Amino acid sequence: MTGVENSRAAAAFVSPAALVSLAIAAVPLLFILYTSLGGAALSLEAFENLLTSTLFRRSLYTTLEISVSASLISLVLGYVVALHLARQPPRRRAVYMVLVLLPFWTSILVKSYAFTVILGREGVINLVLSWVFGTQVALPMILNRFGVMVGMTNYLTPFIVFPVLASLLAIDPALYRAADIMSARPMRIFFTITLPLSLPGIVAGVSSVMVMSLGFFVIPALLGGRQDVMLANLVDFYTRETLDWNMAAAIGVLLLAMVVLLSAPALWMRRNQLAGKA
Amino acid sequence: MSDAFDLKDPLKRRYRRFGTALACLVYAFMLVPSLIVIPVSFGTQHEVRFPPREFSFELYQIFFSSAAWTGPLLQSLKVACLTTILALATAVPAAYGIVRHDFPGKKAITLLLMSPLVIPAIVMALGLYLYFSYIRLTGSTLALVLGHTIYVTPFVIVMVAAGVQKLDPNLEFGATLMGAGRYRMFATVVLPQLAPSIMAGGLFAFLISFDEVVISWFLVSATTTTLPVKMYSSIQWEISPVIAAVSTMLTVLSLVVCMLTAALQRSGRGQ
Repeated sequence: MTGVENSRAAAAFVSPAALVSLAIAAVPLLFILYTSLGGAALSLEAFENLLTSTLFRRSLYTTLEISVSASLISLVLGYVVALHLARQPPRRRAVYMVLVLLPFWTSILVKSYAFTVILGREGVINLVLSWVFGTQVALPMILNRFGVMVGMTNYLTPFIVFPVLASLLAIDPALYRAADIMSARPMRIFFTITLPLSLPGIVAGVSSVMVMSLGFFVIPALLGGRQDVMLANLVDFYTRETLDWNMAAAIGVLLLAMVVLLSAPALWMRRNQLAGKA
Repeated sequence: MSDAFDLKDPLKRRYRRFGTALACLVYAFMLVPSLIVIPVSFGTQHEVRFPPREFSFELYQIFFSSAAWTGPLLQSLKVACLTTILALATAVPAAYGIVRHDFPGKKAITLLLMSPLVIPAIVMALGLYLYFSYIRLTGSTLALVLGHTIYVTPFVIVMVAAGVQKLDPNLEFGATLMGAGRYRMFATVVLPQLAPSIMAGGLFAFLISFDEVVISWFLVSATTTTLPVKMYSSIQWEISPVIAAVSTMLTVLSLVVCMLTAALQRSGRGQ
């Protein structure tokens, strides 16, 4: 096949999807940019308004705070599971994998509802505590920061497990054997072999989880309170409640910029890995 | 890492047991929300309680007998089916073209096709809302299907591209040598071999569309409300116990899709 022939074949296969994406993904993004600049006015007014708005600044801070802490907690939880999975023989690993895949595929609405049943005022935990202590216990565990954190870490943990497991499985077993022969202690093995060599998985996992949590909408809306309004909820508020589309679009542009910046390390890591392999 | 020989060391054994115990706690934490809705769904409408005091199918009866729930259910089924068809029709050839061909602008096009994986759903939802308001499409089923198609396309491409990479290019080359045109070769040689990946990609597309809430929340109208949107507003405003029944059915659906794709991937590997 000649080069021209090759391109023509490729065009035939790729162009339908590319055209749909251009029309339904690229154009809407341009619409956001255009709207954030006040349409034909091309002014930065919406951005200036955002930066002086207390509501926006508080919600930006809340978003960063929740995203960072939820990502770190899910990293710890996911790492524990990935370590356990990596130790299993392949057959048993496939079985344990279902325990990660089922929550991975469970709808975020099901999870949010489940947490209102578990953590709610008359929820399972309060019921058990009331029974244990013999008095009415009603710890507030939803519609506050605690509820958001539980819901988010629950949702994000599987997304850490997959990349970390992949890099744990890529570690050469000979290293462990060598460490064992040298009678290194478990902690030392973990900190000199396991942890550094799983770094690519950690970076990939944490950055994808951060990217996801910046845009979280359902969990803060259903499990959070007034203090836990994240940027995505603010977009919803401006779009549908106050009909201030310029503000909503400006937040959208900022969210997009943050996401692009954050996914850079993962992309960079992958390119380095590919370069290393070549 | 599955080395049994080092377990003679008691210190190591203790660490390992500790690690397993921690892992079990995290497994439980991950699974509990998916599972707890099942017993609750067999309770009654008067109290949301775990464990329920009496066993009944009341919540399911309410769900299937009220148009406020079955309407969104049918709408979600419709949107998910149409999305799956449209996404497969565009993403399967695209995945093949990306894996097998080099062409100018390949990186840019791949980036464009995969971008919905990174772009927050809320940003896509807002963009689609502004755009569809402009062309007067907001609120229609078509708007939902188009929005969902963009959203599921990268997942289908990833699944199918992995399948294409396992194919033997010599078969395609042979068919071309024997005089089969590009499309005939694709339809008779490539597609049949890709069946397991296409099925798996289609299942993913269906499930993701069926569960999608953020984009739908921005695009639905009163007559095109989907099940997740109905569920979202229901949890927000009233917490009707019927949600437990819906949740159970959604969890079962996730489980079925999860099992089916695992089986498909195994059969794909066996070839």
